[in-house]
Amino acid sequence: MDVQGFPSDLLTVDLGASSVTLRVDPATYSLDALYGAAYIFIDRCFVLLDKPDASYRVTLAWKKREPTTDELRALVGEFANELLSCAWRAKISEDSRALIESVTAQALGGAMGPPTLEELEKFDFSDETFEDPLGIAMSWEEKHRKKAQPDDANPVDGAKVTEATATREKP
Amino acid sequence: MTELRLHRELYQAAALEQALGLFAPHGTFVRKEEPSHWVVEITARTLERERRIAGELGNYALGLTVKGRKR
Amino acid sequence: MNLVQLRNRSTTFAMPFRHRQVDGKVLITNTEGNFLLMSQEDFARFAEGAVPKESELYRRLAERNFVRAELDTRKMAERLRARKTFLHAGPNLHIAVVTLRCNETCVYCHASRADMSATHTDMSKETAARVVDLVFESTNPSVTIEFQGGEPLVNFDVVKHIIEVAREKNKTAGKGLEFTMVSNLSLMDEEKLAYLVDNRVQICTSIDGPEHLHDKQRKLPGLSAHQKATYWIRRINDAYAKMGLDPTLYHVEALLTTTRETLPRWKEVVDTYADLGCRALFLRPVDPFGFADRTAPRVEYPRLEYLEFYRSAVDYILELNKRGVEILERFAAIFLTKILGGQDPNFLDIRSPCGAGIGQIAYNYDGKVFTCDEGRMLHEMGDSTFLIGNVSPSAETTARSNYREMMTHETVRALAIASNLDAQPDCVNCTYQPYCGVCPVHNHKTQGSIFGRMRESSLCMVHKGIQDYLFSKIGGGDLETLEILRRWTTVRDRTHFLQTCAT
Repeated sequence: MDVQGFPSDLLTVDLGASSVTLRVDPATYSLDALYGAAYIFIDRCFVLLDKPDASYRVTLAWKKREPTTDELRALVGEFANELLSCAWRAKISEDSRALIESVTAQALGGAMGPPTLEELEKFDFSDETFEDPLGIAMSWEEKHRKKAQPDDANPVDGAKVTEATATREKP
Repeated sequence: MTELRLHRELYQAAALEQALGLFAPHGTFVRKEEPSHWVVEITARTLERERRIAGELGNYALGLTVKGRKR
Repeated sequence: MNLVQLRNRSTTFAMPFRHRQVDGKVLITNTEGNFLLMSQEDFARFAEGAVPKESELYRRLAERNFVRAELDTRKMAERLRARKTFLHAGPNLHIAVVTLRCNETCVYCHASRADMSATHTDMSKETAARVVDLVFESTNPSVTIEFQGGEPLVNFDVVKHIIEVAREKNKTAGKGLEFTMVSNLSLMDEEKLAYLVDNRVQICTSIDGPEHLHDKQRKLPGLSAHQKATYWIRRINDAYAKMGLDPTLYHVEALLTTTRETLPRWKEVVDTYADLGCRALFLRPVDPFGFADRTAPRVEYPRLEYLEFYRSAVDYILELNKRGVEILERFAAIFLTKILGGQDPNFLDIRSPCGAGIGQIAYNYDGKVFTCDEGRMLHEMGDSTFLIGNVSPSAETTARSNYREMMTHETVRALAIASNLDAQPDCVNCTYQPYCGVCPVHNHKTQGSIFGRMRESSLCMVHKGIQDYLFSKIGGGDLETLEILRRWTTVRDRTHFLQTCAT
């Protein structure tokens, strides 16, 4: 069944299962964007992600039985808009990272104020490793050696490390 | 019996394990592995219930996967 | 204008700018919030870098920092700084919901009011004391404690307790302390009035318009809610006048919630406010919190209809101003302060990032602490996403939150990022970005994520529509209207309400 406004090669509808399935191009929409959009819908739909070939496949199954065609159209339209929104937001965040971090740091710093003596007493000043998402504490050698040897143990986590490294490298 | 297939590249193993643990009281789950997917065979009282469990289990595993990526 | 017609777009003449069609003209704005309205032809010349250096247009563009060759970075930095001064200090607005009990039932109630028998929803004095402790930990040198409900007069003992404890603490803290109360006024009496006036509590109420509309939407069993509210508005204003306070500055402020019934009655609404001596009205659209899910079929409306109402009402307000009646519209005043004044009035719902957590905190009757009042309202609807702490004395010590923990809460951090317009699709390119703001809690409720999608946001539509209207007035050529709009940006400090350390 065709849904008005959507290319039939990208969208299929299964009225019996109350679901729609979209094909998503990974070249246009990153996995993060896909996750971001999918997550928004898990309260209303059963969301199933798959990767039958080079594309992603998203199935949104209405939790209620027998949605109308209009409801399904609205659902898939909203998903497509959210997917675009997530993809674009990721790009904006990458391009404007310095500005966003600066404003956020000032906002939170202004609200927090300086630490109290009690808080400083509890702070761990030891040499133990700590979370360093921006890689500030990494030496140049460590950083560049890590970039040349991505971690393939877990494809999902490996992808995250590569992405994080790539954003750290951006001037 | 209803089969839920979760792609290994898109769902974390730990997320699926945690989700299965939570849903254990609600049906019978047999877990299998394929080269590209984790497969869960779900058996419950009715087909409709199996559909619902499969959907909610998939959502839960997805949610935990998304959360796990941010750490 | 068809941008394709600009064949020779210059990449070296202009500083980064955003543009929008407003009333047949082209509006441009830049990062620091300067703006210029120009004809289509002038915009074409600007975009093509073909503005003669000796022309008036060039002069106007240059003095507003739109010309790359004439960029004044010092002025740019000053303007940016003026717009973001609120970043350097913590929450100044502390909303104390002293009870959920309310004696009125309002069709659009967003506070999830409780019946008068629900005494378990009264804040205790012990919790109130802990709230005051937290208020004074704010890094902001000025704090306002706002009493809300339900109806705060129902739990007047705790209101008094908070005032007394706060004033005592302020003897050493030395903050710029103020109190405000949002009340329906129906439980006011002379004794309560005397206390509130003597202790310099600013009073704000709701007036939905003429009596028949107000009473239809705000049920007060056996009585007229409108008559009660208007009686006490006049009584309080009278009390201020007797104290020698300037009535143009010191009077009860009132708010409006625009429902479907309000939309055709814009003139009656404005006349009601003017007759009451109100100097401002806030034409707020209905929001999606509290009872809204249930009552939406009755009160909701398309936002295009709201904007039509808004334009008619503000046109009429401007007309009244020209006849010498001093009354402004609050939404307009907020935006105009940014547009014409280059300052940020720190209205927490319309700034970037928004005030959730870092600019305001809401304390529920039970000691639970939220990023904002909207977050608290959502909690009463069953969604505790925006809960950031608990100061109740009955909470486990390990679970009881301190100020810094709340300010570094992951939810506060997430909302600061989600409401930063530099990170928001659509907003990042929007001409109104320097003046605008989003509400992540509204996004979460209506669209499922704190980021939202602005093209589908009813709040974005309202903000854009209002600013379109204001810029059409600014560029309309009517100098008298422009002068009125400038007057609306003037903020006169109401120092009488400032609680000094010695008092």
